[in-house]
Amino acid sequence: MFIKRFTAKAVPLTVVLTSAILISSASFARSNVYADFPITLKDYSGSATTSTSYKGQMARHALESSLKKLISKGDMSAMQSYYSGGSADRVIIAPATKGDFVIMQSTIGELSSKNLSGKTYKGLIPGWPGNMTGPEVVAFMFEKAADAEAGYDAAHAYDYTQLVSKFLMGAVMYNQAVDNYLDEKLEADTKPNNKPYKDGAAYTGKEHVWDEAFGYFGAPSHTLTLSAQDVYNIAKQKDVSAADYNYDGKVDLYKEMAFGHAYYASSFDKGGKTTYLHDIVGAYMDGRDMLVAADANALSDSQRDQLKAYAKIIKTNWEKVIAEAVFKYAGETYEDMVKIEAILESNGDVAKAWRNYAKHWGELKGFALALQVGGKDMGAVSVRLNRLIGHSPLLLGNTQVTGVDSNGEYIQSNSESWGGYMAHMLKVQNLMVDEFAVVAKSHDQTAGLAELVKTLGGKSSAEND
Amino acid sequence: MTDFFANFLNPEKRLFVGYLISAAFIAVIWLRAVQKKPLTTIVSGFFNSKIWFSKSAIGDYKLMVLNQFFIKLLAPILLGQLALTLFVFENMHLLFSRPSESIPVWMVMIIFTTTLFVVDDFSRYLVHRLMHRVPILWRFHKAHHSATNLTPLTVLRTHPIEAVLFSFRALVVHSLCLGVCFFFFSGSVSLIEIFGASLFVVVFHALGSNLRHSHVSISYWNWLEKILVSPAQHQLHHSINSKHFDCNFGAILSIWDTIGGSCLTSNKDQQIEFGLKGQSEAAHNLKNLIVGS
Repeated sequence: MFIKRFTAKAVPLTVVLTSAILISSASFARSNVYADFPITLKDYSGSATTSTSYKGQMARHALESSLKKLISKGDMSAMQSYYSGGSADRVIIAPATKGDFVIMQSTIGELSSKNLSGKTYKGLIPGWPGNMTGPEVVAFMFEKAADAEAGYDAAHAYDYTQLVSKFLMGAVMYNQAVDNYLDEKLEADTKPNNKPYKDGAAYTGKEHVWDEAFGYFGAPSHTLTLSAQDVYNIAKQKDVSAADYNYDGKVDLYKEMAFGHAYYASSFDKGGKTTYLHDIVGAYMDGRDMLVAADANALSDSQRDQLKAYAKIIKTNWEKVIAEAVFKYAGETYEDMVKIEAILESNGDVAKAWRNYAKHWGELKGFALALQVGGKDMGAVSVRLNRLIGHSPLLLGNTQVTGVDSNGEYIQSNSESWGGYMAHMLKVQNLMVDEFAVVAKSHDQTAGLAELVKTLGGKSSAEND
Repeated sequence: MTDFFANFLNPEKRLFVGYLISAAFIAVIWLRAVQKKPLTTIVSGFFNSKIWFSKSAIGDYKLMVLNQFFIKLLAPILLGQLALTLFVFENMHLLFSRPSESIPVWMVMIIFTTTLFVVDDFSRYLVHRLMHRVPILWRFHKAHHSATNLTPLTVLRTHPIEAVLFSFRALVVHSLCLGVCFFFFSGSVSLIEIFGASLFVVVFHALGSNLRHSHVSISYWNWLEKILVSPAQHQLHHSINSKHFDCNFGAILSIWDTIGGSCLTSNKDQQIEFGLKGQSEAAHNLKNLIVGS
């Protein structure tokens, strides 16, 4: 009796709920994997089976990773070849096969014979001495790296491996994505959605614009099926099972590897306070799904507004990822300075701590430069950031590099005290909080201070004596 | 209204009911054992309506209620506390090396609790001294000194402008102590607390701080009164007699008065009249308490 009555009520309810779920999921379905989107162009006659294509971007990620290894070897011609050459035979030095983490491609040509120089931000880089453009800064750093020992100049505490790598992630990947593809290329008269990107292409203008922007972020195509920790482990080549989405026993650098800022997003998100990686890839996915639904028709104004809204999510979160990195490395630089000071006070050997200081400062500087090439006028924030960090780490004797002479030699001048520069690192962290509302706050040097002020701070009282 | 009752329920406040009870116990013991007064006289003294419903006491109550509302307006002042603490912390780098090794938490607790207590007490002394010595500040502080009867509630007979100054004082002192201690001890800074209030504050209040605003004249040994302010010493501070003027500005420690030459020790049998010279009963009206008579 009970079962009958229960069933009589439960069945219609289940039907209603199931229908609701089916209807809602049909309306708002989001693809899980950024791959194999269909060809929407009606008169496409080629052999491609998908409109998705961003191999060139992944080739640039592989070039940047490989270049990082080459800088520490100081081989100038190799550096130039990977930066501005065009050979398909350039070996992918990193990421390379490591144990069971087998990399599918071994040469750049297997992805796409691209270079980095053609896509480096051409504007002025005010955070680096010498009034140079982006490509000039890279060329200058290559020369200095070739002269230095393993890309490390102890006298000026410059780590060119870190400086070049982090700068290029900004000046190529970030700049191309947010200041080009997700900016002017979303306008109606640029790369329209009702025409192929170029004659004979399997993708529309907007489809390819969106794919290229996705590629520059560096996330695996199956990111939405993974946790931030998984993506982090993929970048570190620690978890082949997370990377190998198609179970072919190899990691495809085109679709299955994590690079660049996507790796940094995962490193912050795995702490659980932020969701940059999934927010960014989710917005890319939503935009791409929308383009599939547009079915190779020109986008209406409202459709483009929607696409720009997705682009805004990507840009805002991407910028925060870089700001989080600036925050983190300002904190690590500060910690190195505490250690160096203690070693010096006890007359110990400072070489190892100095090496770390140069490394962390190089990352800080690289990310700080990257933050400023997103095509946004950062105004006073940019000036403040560059002045706080300066052109080099603070050196013993309280000097800093303040310029470059006509022979390309660094000029040093008196600067802050050791403690004063440490305070600069704190101010850099504060600036990232105030201007970019960073949340993960790795290596936060004032962690807990706000809570202390809240619990132990003074309170208003009218008590008199 | 809840804020009003919080005065009596929060162990950080001097009027916390536990401290009032402890003060009553101490008063009874003192009056019975030292001054040999009959118990009936003591009890009837506690509930003397001539004190509790005097114009002076009613003036206390009026200011107390007014300040409940006024204090709420001061909340934004304290929002600056984090910024000021950060400022102190950052500037410490210009003066000292940041320690790379940590010290035990218990030691940090002792150092921070003691530092905060000493700096806080000194700042109270300093501000109090200025309230008396700077004519414009005295115009506000005299509202407190116009009390002709002292009851524990007189502690809240405070001009609203004074409440603003007290809030700034708390802001500066706490920012300074937190900024400096955070520099040396990072996140391990914490306070030795009892019932959520600083150990020193609880001990001070539990030992009868409320009796300083009362007619129970408890004095300490002469040497002790040069270190700690006794209730009788604070009553001298409220005296109408010009030879007692500008003495005993200290809150808990009288060391500051001893150093500053303003420490006046009490007499066992002192008879003191409270208030200001030449004031009329109208001084207790709210209008006169605020704008002066």
